[in-house]
Amino acid sequence: MIVRGLSLLWLLGWSLIGVADELRYALEATPVATNTWVVEGSTGNFSRDNGGNIVNVAFIATGDGVVVIDTGPSRLYGEALRALIEATTDEPIRHVLLTHHHPDHVFGNQAFDPDTLYMLDSGRQALAREGEAFSDNMYRLVGDWMRGTEVVVPANTLAPGPLVVGDHRFWLMEFSGHTGSDLVVFDENTGVLFASDMVFYNRALTTPQSPGLMVWAKELMALSELPYTLVVPGHGPVVSDDSAFRQMNDYLSWLYQTLSKSASRGLTLAEVMNLPIPDRFQGMAGTRYELIRTTTHLYPRYEKAALELLPER
Amino acid sequence: MGRIVLLFFILLGGPVQGAVPEDPFGSPMWEYNLNRYLGEGREVVLDERVVLTVPPFAEDSAQVPLTLDLSGFPGEVDEIVTWIDLNPIPHLFTLTPGATPTRLISLNFRVQQATTVRAAVRDRHGVWHIGSAYVDAAGGGCTAPSLTAANPDWESNFGTIRGGAFSQVPGVRYKFSVMHPMDSGMVGDVPAFHIESVRLAVPGADEPLLSMTLSQSAAENPMFVFELERQPAGAMLWLRDNNGNVFERRLGGGA
Repeated sequence: MIVRGLSLLWLLGWSLIGVADELRYALEATPVATNTWVVEGSTGNFSRDNGGNIVNVAFIATGDGVVVIDTGPSRLYGEALRALIEATTDEPIRHVLLTHHHPDHVFGNQAFDPDTLYMLDSGRQALAREGEAFSDNMYRLVGDWMRGTEVVVPANTLAPGPLVVGDHRFWLMEFSGHTGSDLVVFDENTGVLFASDMVFYNRALTTPQSPGLMVWAKELMALSELPYTLVVPGHGPVVSDDSAFRQMNDYLSWLYQTLSKSASRGLTLAEVMNLPIPDRFQGMAGTRYELIRTTTHLYPRYEKAALELLPER
Repeated sequence: MGRIVLLFFILLGGPVQGAVPEDPFGSPMWEYNLNRYLGEGREVVLDERVVLTVPPFAEDSAQVPLTLDLSGFPGEVDEIVTWIDLNPIPHLFTLTPGATPTRLISLNFRVQQATTVRAAVRDRHGVWHIGSAYVDAAGGGCTAPSLTAANPDWESNFGTIRGGAFSQVPGVRYKFSVMHPMDSGMVGDVPAFHIESVRLAVPGADEPLLSMTLSQSAAENPMFVFELERQPAGAMLWLRDNNGNVFERRLGGGA
């Protein structure tokens, strides 16, 4: 009995080493609508355990080629995604739409034919400007999973408006709330709204390049008025009602009020980072972590707005 | 052989360990920096009433917020010294309070790598009370070019000072931001150019409300926060950088 237990442990030990040697993303395609699949990531942070698989990507078989929305955090992920798509549908991959320049969404694009990569022009510029710094940080955070990953700026530019592929008519929208250049894709045939990181659900939103919380909140309002049947957020579970929008709105308003009030009371950055987070946000992953980050990104603007030019005499 | 080596270390380390408490963070720079900034052979104690707050990780290695809260520290404070253990120039600031106790100090620092951060507070009896914190970081904050350097118009904003006085019960919290590149001198072809002295004072008074000397670890375009236990009337701010630029402003509040 003991001997068997020990040998089991020994085997387990070896299998763990095996996993460490050969990193693999276990991607699964979940059908969410006709010929539409979502590959859901965790709501965690980048780590060496998850290889940066914290993101949702999606693909649609249109009848005249596959449209892919986002490509994951690394070359390895991109290759796994391409294999998954090829195992799910016989149609060739014709369009790979990259929603914004954040590493978890674009860095898998190397695995796809460069001619199929599309991005908004402002997003392409942002990726060209900041991609290398993101890449350095990703290697630091997730290590070996990034092996062979290089920044690829998509060759093709997307314009907001209709995109017709096969039987599907997509409506492309350009927003700015999350990164300054955020693509949202609405499939008019199925009513699926691929909101990407304009919507986080049960996961605290991130703000490193956000032009401002109220800009985001305003754009979100416009988005929520679309006749969607399903919302695919950039992070967190797919949802068919307006829960994700309500949570986003609530959380954005709370952040805005917290930062404004703190600035008018003269609080320091460190004090704001440690403020209590309301219980109603307990179901969201990463709230404290993201409050620390958001405070770093945005609080200095609120602080400065609460100060006046000091007179010399 | 091993025993002899061990004996040697015990003999060598014995007296020092008696004087200095063990570092709860186990930093290799603990004793070295204590000796460097507080002097050798001083009495040092760990003190939870020296509340030093930094975030667990640095989202921006060039702007890491630090708040030192002494509202729970009993008795008078003669001097405060803070440093970042693993920075190339660890010293952040030395502050001497005036007659009105300084309850809280805050500013941002740069971080070169994940490190412990220290605040040492000297009481009336000459004992140093230490508060510590740890910040994880991608690093490089000290050797990254300032944003100011990348902005050709930086001179038009240089020396702009915005501020405010926030009433506390009791006392006042002064907050002011200064547009200054605070170049650390560790970036190629960019000489050190940073604010060295900060003083709050009431004109005509015998001694300042507080005076502070700053080192290269202080972040660009600094935002200073000082909380005093009583609100003085007509306080002035006085700053000088290492190039001799002097800035004087009226702080407002309690006029």
